[in-house]
Amino acid sequence: MRVFLLKAAATVLTLGATVASALYVTAHLKNPAAPLQPPVLAGNGSTVGALGGQLTVGPSVHQSDVEPLTSTYAS
Amino acid sequence: MPPEAVLVSHHFEALGTGCSLFVVGRPRDSLVGAELWVRRLGARFTRFASDSELSHLNARAGEWVDVTGEMEELLREGLRAHEMSAGLVNIAVLPSMLAVGYSRPLVQGPGVATLHAVESLPRLSDVLEVHAGQARLERGAGIDLGGIAKGWMADRLCESLGPNAVANIGGDLRAVGPGPRGEGWPVGVGGRTLLLRDQGSATSSTRRRRWGDMHHLIDPRSGMPARSGLEEVSVVASTGFEAEVVAKTALLLGPEFAPAYCAAHAMAWWLGGAA
Repeated sequence: MRVFLLKAAATVLTLGATVASALYVTAHLKNPAAPLQPPVLAGNGSTVGALGGQLTVGPSVHQSDVEPLTSTYAS
Repeated sequence: MPPEAVLVSHHFEALGTGCSLFVVGRPRDSLVGAELWVRRLGARFTRFASDSELSHLNARAGEWVDVTGEMEELLREGLRAHEMSAGLVNIAVLPSMLAVGYSRPLVQGPGVATLHAVESLPRLSDVLEVHAGQARLERGAGIDLGGIAKGWMADRLCESLGPNAVANIGGDLRAVGPGPRGEGWPVGVGGRTLLLRDQGSATSSTRRRRWGDMHHLIDPRSGMPARSGLEEVSVVASTGFEAEVVAKTALLLGPEFAPAYCAAHAMAWWLGGAA
């Protein structure tokens, strides 16, 4: 009898945990507020026309008005 | 705004292009040492010198060849670039380069094109194996490191130049630290100034190294110079190497897919011109 009770209790506990987990996961399938990687996917980037093309700058990069020390270029 | 720290710069020509080094709080000697490092590795990585380490590897395709630590690391980075770009960045591009006539430095004029020999490039992992201290190319395969070496070198240089420095190797650059004013290093990208801190930037283009209808940027899918609809792409990413890979991949993807690709892999990007 004691063995049966232990088995029953373990089964109930397992099923309960499974159901609770399923309910939790279903209710938290995704978090719309979670940060996307890279952050530019969140749509915070700004796009401007520049030098005959389109420059898009994500939130992790800051623009400045100072003269650049050096530049990227094709070589 | 904090006072500008003492900035030391050093400019020189190497690898057939211009190089610039900037550092805050370090002696100029360290920059001269860095220039010598660039020249030393450039001499080993060039395919235009028959006695370079790369030419030795290419000439012995089909055999296991001893390679230096730097060559091993760069070859492994080439394999990583191939994976990152879903095959669009492929350092086994030498046969196509030769077939379209890019057989010597363009200051000497283009070589003879043999376009009948052009074909799509094999998967890099099918023709290149790298073990500790050794590498092996399949017969008929050949490596050109020009597409990734500059960004990789900029990254390595910044590791040695200290916590506040920029290394710009022919337009592929890495910036580490807060810069001279503490707000990031001011770097020109797409005609604007961006403040980079612990980031890299690179440009891939079909506008340079052109001759006739040809240029040096090969599309691995055809083995021919790329005609994707984009002429030039500049990118800001985590490192100079990653920026180089993302810029080239975006250019090869063309205007339809490049924006989404850059949005997923870059921090800033400039897409220029229709080809």
